[in-house]
Amino acid sequence: MFSTILFYILSVILVFSSLMVIFSRKPINSVLFLIVSFFAISGHYILLNAQFLAVVNIIVYAGAIMVLFLFTVMLLNLNKETEPKKSALVKIIAVITGCLLAVTLVGSLKGIDNAPVQDFSDNSIGLIKNLGKTLFTDFLVPFELTSVLFLASIVGTLMIGKKE
Amino acid sequence: MNLENFLIMRHELVLTIVTLILLIAELSISDKSKHKIIPIAIGLFTINLIIGFLPTISGSLFGGMYQTTALQVTMKNILNLGVLVVLFQSVKWLKEEENKIKISEFFLILFSTLIGMQFMISSGSFLMLYLGLELATIPMAALVAYDRLRTKSAEAGVKLILSAALSSAVLLFGISLIYGTTGSTYFNIVGSVFTSNSLQTLAFIFFFSGMAFKISLVPFHLWTADVYEGAPINVTSYLSVISKGASAFILLIVLFTVFKNIVEIWQNLLYVIAVSTMTIGNLFAIRQQNMKRFLAFSSIAQAGFILLGLMGANITGMTSVVYFVFVYIFSNLGAFGVVSVIYYQTSKENMDDYNGLYHTNPKLSLIMMLSLFSLAGIPPVAGFFGKFFLFTAAAASGYYWLVFIAVLNATISLYYYLLVVKAMFINKNDTPIAYFKTDTPAKISLIICVIGVFIVGFMSIFYQYFQSIGFGI
Repeated sequence: MFSTILFYILSVILVFSSLMVIFSRKPINSVLFLIVSFFAISGHYILLNAQFLAVVNIIVYAGAIMVLFLFTVMLLNLNKETEPKKSALVKIIAVITGCLLAVTLVGSLKGIDNAPVQDFSDNSIGLIKNLGKTLFTDFLVPFELTSVLFLASIVGTLMIGKKE
Repeated sequence: MNLENFLIMRHELVLTIVTLILLIAELSISDKSKHKIIPIAIGLFTINLIIGFLPTISGSLFGGMYQTTALQVTMKNILNLGVLVVLFQSVKWLKEEENKIKISEFFLILFSTLIGMQFMISSGSFLMLYLGLELATIPMAALVAYDRLRTKSAEAGVKLILSAALSSAVLLFGISLIYGTTGSTYFNIVGSVFTSNSLQTLAFIFFFSGMAFKISLVPFHLWTADVYEGAPINVTSYLSVISKGASAFILLIVLFTVFKNIVEIWQNLLYVIAVSTMTIGNLFAIRQQNMKRFLAFSSIAQAGFILLGLMGANITGMTSVVYFVFVYIFSNLGAFGVVSVIYYQTSKENMDDYNGLYHTNPKLSLIMMLSLFSLAGIPPVAGFFGKFFLFTAAAASGYYWLVFIAVLNATISLYYYLLVVKAMFINKNDTPIAYFKTDTPAKISLIICVIGVFIVGFMSIFYQYFQSIGFGI
C-alpha cells in the first residue's frame, strides 16, 4: 500500500518535471528540472529493488552529467535572441505528429494484457553483490564489449583534440 | 577457453588483438616514422582476413549471447574483404602531411567499428546487438570528423553523432518494449513468443526505425548526403559500403529469425519503405553534381533494392541479399576508389571535372564505367545478377507490382550512372584532368574490385554457396 502511494507521488513528480524540462523558457531551468526528474527516476529504481542502480543514477546523471550540462548551457550563453525561429507550419506539423505518436502509444497499450510479469519480490536482487555476479557471468560479453567501446571512444576523442 | 571456442569467435578476437597491437605499436614508434604503421596495420588485417577463412564451426557461446553459423562467418568475411579494399584505397590519403600525427588512430577506430559490426552480426540477444551498433557508430563519428580542421568534416561528424544518438534512442525504446512484452532479450526466446499484438508491433516499428537510420532508408535518410559529403572520401566509402552492408546483414538475420512470426506485418512495412527509398534516392541522385553526394544518393537507392530481397522472406531472398551486398561492395568500392584517386591527385570531385577523362586516363575511366555499370545492373557485370536475384526473390513471393516499380527505378538509375560515363567518354573538355600514375595500393584495390565485378557475376559457385548456408522463413 505504502509503495503504491509512493509510486504515484514519484510518477507525478517525474511527469511534471519532465514536462517542465520541455516547457521552460530558460535553459537553466530545464537543466534543473532534469535533475528533479533524475531523482524521481532513482526513487522508481528503489521501488523496483534496484538500489545500486538508484545510487549510480544519482551519482552519474544528477552529479557528473548535469554539471556538464550546466557548463555547456553557460558557455553557449543561450537566450531568446539566439533561439532559432521556427515557422508556424513546422510547429503545426510537429504538434500533429507528436499527438499521433501519443495516440498510437496509448492505443497500443491494449496489447499489454498478456505481457509476462516479472517477479520483483526478491529484495536483494539489486545489491552490488548480485549485480556483480550477473555482470561477470551472464553478461560478461556485453561488459567486455563496452570496454572496447570506451577504448574506441577515447581514441576518437583524443584524435579530434590532438595538436598539430 | 579451449581452441574450439576460439574458432567460434575468432573474427572478433583476432580483430581485437590486432587493434590492441596497433595501440601498442603507436606508442613505440617514433613520431618521425609514423607512416610505418600503415604496412603493419594492413599486414595484420590481411592475417585477420585469412584467419577468417579457416574452416567454420557453428555454435553459440556465453549462454546464447553470442552465436555463429556458416552464414554469419561468410558475412564477416565479406565485410573483412571490403575493409581491406578500403584500407588499400586510403594509403595515399593517410600519407599526406596533415594526417601524419593521426595515422594509427584511423586504423584503431576503423577496426573498432568493424568489431562492433561483427559482434552485431553474431549477436544472440538484443543487448549485444545494441552494444555492437553503438560500437559501430560512436567511433565512426570521430572518423567522419577525421579532417577536423576542415569545417565540413567536423560538421558531418556532429551531424552523424546527433542523428545516431536519436536513432539509438528510438531503437532502444523499441528494444525496451520488446523486453517488456516478452520478458527476454534473447533472440531465440523473443522469436518464439513474439506475436502481432499492438504493443509488440509498435515495438517492432521502433526497432526497425532505428535500424533504418543506419541503412539510411527513406524517410530516415536525411543525414546521409551531408555526412557522406563532409567525411573524407575513404571514410565515406567505408560508411556507404561496409557500414551499410553490415546493417543490411543484421537486419536480414533479425527479420528472418526474431520477427519471423510477424512476417506479414514487416512485409507491408518494407513495401512502402522500399518504394519510397528507391524512388526518392534516385530522384535526388539525378540532380547531384558532387560525386560524393551523387554516390551517397545512389547508395540510398541501392538500399531500397536490398529491401526487395528481404521482403521475399524465403531462402532465395536471403541468398540474393548476401549476394547483392557482396557484389555491391566491389562495384561501389570501385567507383569510390576512382573518385578518391582522382580527388587526392587533383582535388577535383565534381562531375564536370570528369569531362574528357577517358582521353587522359583511359584505365581509370574504364574501371569507373565498369563499377557504374555494375551498380546500375547492366548484364555482363555482376551487378546485373545481383539485382536479378533480388527481383526473383520478390517476384517469387508475389510482389509483381513492387518488382515493376523496382525495374522502373533501375532504369532511372541507369540514366544518372550513364551521365557520369557520358562525361568521361563523350563530353569535350579543354582542360581535362591531366594524366597521372595511380599509387600502387590503390591500383591493387581497383584490380580487386574489377576482378570481383567480373568473377562474382560469371561464377555461379558464390551464389550456390550462399544458397547452401542461407535459410528462409
